[in-house]
Amino acid sequence: MEQQLEKVLTEIVSQPDTVGALVTNRQGLCLAAKGKINPNVSGIGMAISEQVAQLEPNNPKPATICLYSGNKRCIIQKNHDLTGVIFKQIPGASISASAMQ
Amino acid sequence: MSDNIHKYFNDLVQKVSGLYVIQITDRDGVPILQASQENIDFALMPSIIPTFTTACDQASKLGLGRNKTIISMYSKYQVVQMIKLPLIVTFVGAENCNTGHILALESQMDEYLEDIKTAVTEA
Repeated sequence: MEQQLEKVLTEIVSQPDTVGALVTNRQGLCLAAKGKINPNVSGIGMAISEQVAQLEPNNPKPATICLYSGNKRCIIQKNHDLTGVIFKQIPGASISASAMQ
Repeated sequence: MSDNIHKYFNDLVQKVSGLYVIQITDRDGVPILQASQENIDFALMPSIIPTFTTACDQASKLGLGRNKTIISMYSKYQVVQMIKLPLIVTFVGAENCNTGHILALESQMDEYLEDIKTAVTEA
């Protein structure tokens, strides 16, 4: 049933510098995850996207959120009932063991 | 210490949008701590806990291992209950509340729950 979703995530994860990706529903529950990404991130990713959407409540276009940390960046985009979270490694930065958990 | 814990859970209720109540009880449903949004009072809460304990025991017999969490969706509310023996943590939120966010709180609260567990087992 979720083969299509798995296929899309596999495609996303195969992109350069992409570490992991997941898709969450509007309840913040992880529908599918691929790569080095904790499925628990789905709820927080969804919460962040909801908070950011309140910055411009009249804008019908969903915002794309980019969070930069030491050696990774996190990209979140909401699209109707689905929210995608992608973890990308900053080129040249090494992934620490703790960040991969 | 207890003020600290109470403040932490009160802050937690405010952090998750749509979350109304966090209640920590022992296995029998005796309330230990409750944090709630203002103007929210769940009079039916005491009857939820023993029912949950029974449901949890039954769910553990499904052959999938020990039951850890039960999420119940209702038309107006959702209830997320976690077994953290000897404690039971109950979250009550709006039906469209972010369930994933509530589940992600589990690992964050462990440190505070340990302090409560110690107090409960010593009592």
